[in-house]
Amino acid sequence: MPLIRSRPDKPDVDRPPVDLRAALLSGSPEERWTAARIVAELRVRGDALLLGQALELEKDSRVREAIFTGLARIATSESVLAVLPYLRSDDANLRTGALDALRMMPDATRPHLEALLGDPDADVRLLTCDLTRSQAGPDAMRMLTALLETEPEANVCAAAVEVLAEVGSPLAVPSLLRCADRFRSDPFLGFAIKHVIVRLGSPSSVAGD
Amino acid sequence: MCDFLYRRTGMVFNEAKRYYVDRRLIDRMLATGEASFASYFARLRSDSQNEVEQFINAFTINETYFYREDHQLRCLTSDLLAERIRAKKPGEAIRIWSAPCSTGEEPYSIAIWLLENWPLADSYDIEIVGSDIDTNALEAAREGIFGKRALMRLTPELIGKYFDLISPERWRITESLRQSILLTSVNIVDSAQTRAYRKFDVIFCRNVLIYFDDTSRRIAAENLYESLSPGGYICLGHSESMSRISPLFEVCRFADAVVYRRPKEGGRG
Repeated sequence: MPLIRSRPDKPDVDRPPVDLRAALLSGSPEERWTAARIVAELRVRGDALLLGQALELEKDSRVREAIFTGLARIATSESVLAVLPYLRSDDANLRTGALDALRMMPDATRPHLEALLGDPDADVRLLTCDLTRSQAGPDAMRMLTALLETEPEANVCAAAVEVLAEVGSPLAVPSLLRCADRFRSDPFLGFAIKHVIVRLGSPSSVAGD
Repeated sequence: MCDFLYRRTGMVFNEAKRYYVDRRLIDRMLATGEASFASYFARLRSDSQNEVEQFINAFTINETYFYREDHQLRCLTSDLLAERIRAKKPGEAIRIWSAPCSTGEEPYSIAIWLLENWPLADSYDIEIVGSDIDTNALEAAREGIFGKRALMRLTPELIGKYFDLISPERWRITESLRQSILLTSVNIVDSAQTRAYRKFDVIFCRNVLIYFDDTSRRIAAENLYESLSPGGYICLGHSESMSRISPLFEVCRFADAVVYRRPKEGGRG
């Protein structure tokens, strides 16, 4: 019989580093990965600030992921503030990491959403539309319909319309209609809005239709 | 109550699962003789008479059978092990982890499949570990007694070879197979528990991540990543995708299955 019964491994095979801060900021990639995970697991003092500091220095994508997960696990206002700058990153992996982390902590992210939807950077506004999807209750619809009234970028409106298809109600229809009217030269947006209105269960009279 | 369960297990039960939660809560209240929710919750919080374990056991789902999703077992013997043995030093064992293993069908299936389908099975030491959070399920796995439904995908020849008929339509897996598999209690969301599990070549983690929320899934994925050797593989359930959970793994498409791999040392990232 080639099958052999395994022996349980010793739980201390990866003994936690004594100085988590030093390990996180200047250890080897393996030490930094382990330290990032343990900081969030043990909720050490100043955890989110420490992880935020580490994120600024970190070049290894695997360790960055552990830091993002750790910040989402801590899920405080400090965590969100540590993650938010990366929504503006030119590095797509960092942007996605930040977005995933914020999505994982909807309660801590909520107070920042309205400011993010008014951000001067259209990419940030677009990504934030997706973040509102994880908000419970009528907040998401209220924020997205307010955006539709003034948003100058058709792509951002399209992102908001897509989320409204999931979280909206017939109360969103007037804002959708006004948005379609503002972008009457954009056939895709008009088409998307028409279908969302049908989905939300309200009579449609999209401008230009 | 759902928050308590989430913090202990990572499993998420929302309003849509109210009936499921209520039924199990009432079962536990009846079993413990607690007349009100408040008194039961107090018992649970104080973990009186090991109630937390019993409570968690009541919420786990142990519906499975031998050779379930056997395309992944085919992939194991046709592709994954060939890759893994290239990375092995002489005499180094092949390590496979079934987590969660429920009542044992999966780790025993892996053992039978390897003995039947891997020509190199006699040339390597093979360690199979089965783990689950549900201690009742683990006890059943150790007993190794199964009914007709669990064995429905096995041929009569395999049943005759690896099981003993103990009563009409009840079979017990052979003593040698029971003794060759280590069965342990582990919560895969708890890093302190998974830290003891390292250097696996292949992990079967099927149909459990779907019960977790995004954060618990990410934590579990990182725990499983740590439990794999570099270049080791993870097999998920057919409706699960690691790509939607964590970017730590590489997607590997083989003829029989799509699986995920911890990048080799010096590889990505």
